[in-house]
Amino acid sequence: MLNKKTYDRLGETVYQATLTNGLKVLMVPKAGFHKTFAIMTTDYGAMDNEFVPRGQQQPVRFPDGIAHFLEHKLFEKKDHDAFDLFGKYGASANAFTGFTQTSYLFATTSHLKENLEILLDFVQDPYFTPATVNKEKGIIGQEIQMYDDDPGWQSYFGMIGHLYPKEPLHIDIAGTVDSIDRITADDLYAAYNTFYHPSNMSLVIVGQLDPEETLAWITANQDAKTFAPNEPITRVPSPQAKPADIVADSTRQLTVSRPKVSIGLRGFDTVPAGRDGLRYSVAVSLMFDLLFNDTSDNYLRLYDANVIDDSFGYDFQVQRGAHFAQLAGDTDRPEQFANELSAILADAPAQLAAAKPQFDLVKREAVGRIVGAINSVEGIANQYDGPLFDGATIFDELTILEQLSFDELLAAARDFLAQSRQTVYTILP
Amino acid sequence: MHFRIKDGVTLDLLPTKQFKTIGIKVDFVAPLQATAITARALLAQVLETSTAAYPTQTALARELSRLYGASFGISVLKLGTKHVIRLTCSLVDEQYLDNFGDQQALFDQGMALLKEVLFAPLLPNGNFDPTTFTQQRQNLLTAIKSLDDDKQYLANRRLQELLFTGQPTQAMSALGDIHVLNDLSATDILGTYHEMLAHDAVHVAVVGDVDEQRAKAAMADWPLADRAVEADSPYYRWSLRDHVQVGDDEAPVVQAKLNLAYQLPIYRDDPDFMAAVVFNAAFGGTPLSLLFTNVREKASLAYYASSGYSPFTGTLSVQTGIQAENQQRVEAIIAEQLAAVQRGELSEKLLAEVKASLLNARLAALDSPQRRLTGLLNTQLTHLHEPLAAWQEKLAKITVADVTRVAQQVTLQATYCLHGGVQGAE
Repeated sequence: MLNKKTYDRLGETVYQATLTNGLKVLMVPKAGFHKTFAIMTTDYGAMDNEFVPRGQQQPVRFPDGIAHFLEHKLFEKKDHDAFDLFGKYGASANAFTGFTQTSYLFATTSHLKENLEILLDFVQDPYFTPATVNKEKGIIGQEIQMYDDDPGWQSYFGMIGHLYPKEPLHIDIAGTVDSIDRITADDLYAAYNTFYHPSNMSLVIVGQLDPEETLAWITANQDAKTFAPNEPITRVPSPQAKPADIVADSTRQLTVSRPKVSIGLRGFDTVPAGRDGLRYSVAVSLMFDLLFNDTSDNYLRLYDANVIDDSFGYDFQVQRGAHFAQLAGDTDRPEQFANELSAILADAPAQLAAAKPQFDLVKREAVGRIVGAINSVEGIANQYDGPLFDGATIFDELTILEQLSFDELLAAARDFLAQSRQTVYTILP
Repeated sequence: MHFRIKDGVTLDLLPTKQFKTIGIKVDFVAPLQATAITARALLAQVLETSTAAYPTQTALARELSRLYGASFGISVLKLGTKHVIRLTCSLVDEQYLDNFGDQQALFDQGMALLKEVLFAPLLPNGNFDPTTFTQQRQNLLTAIKSLDDDKQYLANRRLQELLFTGQPTQAMSALGDIHVLNDLSATDILGTYHEMLAHDAVHVAVVGDVDEQRAKAAMADWPLADRAVEADSPYYRWSLRDHVQVGDDEAPVVQAKLNLAYQLPIYRDDPDFMAAVVFNAAFGGTPLSLLFTNVREKASLAYYASSGYSPFTGTLSVQTGIQAENQQRVEAIIAEQLAAVQRGELSEKLLAEVKASLLNARLAALDSPQRRLTGLLNTQLTHLHEPLAAWQEKLAKITVADVTRVAQQVTLQATYCLHGGVQGAE
């Protein structure tokens, strides 16, 4: 029942089990650590706003921001708040919502069993009423406004909005002040009952723990509860923009000290399924390292020309149904920034061939980054992407990276870049 | 393990097999002087860019990549009456690498690189390279200006300026002042550099699978001479004002940022220090706190409402993000929470919870190599060394009466609101 996979060189072991109700449990004991980090995730996020509610026949379109709203409300119960239960043991608890997932987590240095039971129980016992739902609207409204004042966030979401003009991604994860105002307690129950079934969830625990004992606690907790039969989930595919719908560039004015430019690249190619998807993701990320990281010739040239500075950064991410890259920075030369970086991307095959001598260097750097992340219980747990990469862990990612050849990198780069579309989003003072 | 390497130069070694990296930290500590803050911040930026052997940032970056992505940086910070230039470097422990073929261990190569950075910077013609200097001065300038794009940061900075009017060392950010920066020359920071090497207290620390002999050998050839380090107090003491300083600014923000500053004259060496830590955790330092519960959860007036306590400057500060028109209500709720603790109305339940939370945080910090290293500076500045067991015992003994006594020393000194102009912030 408990599958064990050992990574000898790293001295790490991953334990995996799937309970009878479908809940996937993954555990990584860390010798010498004081802390245990646990994160329970549902494969449901801001993108999933149209679906057939469990027990119904017809799809329903829900207000934007419902997944995030549900995350906030799950902590509150009839006569208590789950935060306070963790508080009794000094554990720190939190939650977050992404495009395709919602996660609930805690970190503790004692009473792991009690804290795990609190986590499982509060996530699996929803309590929504019109009164508690209405009360939350003020808090989330302030959260949305806090991000309205954050230029970095505005730059990121402005870019995403242009890459995904028809998809739910163009709406802030938290929704809007207007959309959250329409959310009802019944909506929350419909979303909850559909996506919070154990078979759509995972529980990852890393740190000070005994795998057999911990699994026994979880199993006992789950066996004492009754769950609806496991049914497939029907999400309505969101409208999809065509490559021609991507707006090439746009500009917005905000109070910032310098212009902020965000270049987005949306992939229209198909990400390979399962572990090959992770291999693809690692390869494309390494391609961006070769083209743009601080060991590249491009970086020094653009830095010395005052086109980029230390604020420059880039990121490639793969999510369920979407993969995109962002290159962003503050610059006094926004047009040159966009033109120079676009030119490098357009010339990528030749650029990559020229950068081949740096392949071993950027690979070493990426290896070091992953080994460093293995120091942290959160680093290990957060790297688990569940069904997206067929349950791959950070240790699998390291193996993939170590085995990656330059030719594989070139192939993945070609797949991504050849069909990608670009947007340039500029914030001017 | 603590070693004196030279007068004013120490080495702390935290040997452990817990981590897959070896972490290094080198702190250069000087008295905080308004005139020197900016120059030291610029010096840190220039030293981080290149060395004689790695004359461009690309050359240096490639060397760091070759060392399996050694993460290296130089930062500056202020702590009480001290200014710190901090080098950090984290290296993979090669026993976890596939096909590691280098002659020398990564830790030793990393220490050799730090030696380059510190003692062999890029000094063509005896001064910092003019192009690098000018570029990094410009970069620091834009970095300081960009900080204000973060409106929460901006509100806090303005609050500090209000609180410490006429006390530039405290009012200024650790990165310094843009007006001073414009006038700095390469020769100025060369002077700052020599000053730092000759006179700063130096605290080196290493965490990871390294023994004493190896750690000492790795820095044996660092050319650091004995230095006389003054054992002056790291605590910044300031006198209470008669009335509260009030300020506000209009800026294009959607959400108003309301920040408050109080005097809490309990320093790190005060017998009530632990009680002050517990007070802050109960008042606004944790999600269980009175501020989070009452401003956010009960009144739904904010997304964030929290407090912070500095035992080096004797200040307590509160940060909230609110609707501007609710400012008076929010201030009233905050004042009422403080008054309640001052009246001794802290519940035993909340006290027990925040104590458990502080213990949890302290133990969790042991799992982070960076926090193991940075935590050492407190001990070095205060000469107060508290083993975990003693710390835990002290924490357990804190009572509601202790927290009440601390709360009664909290006095509001400044209120600042950055708002979008809706109904003003009167």
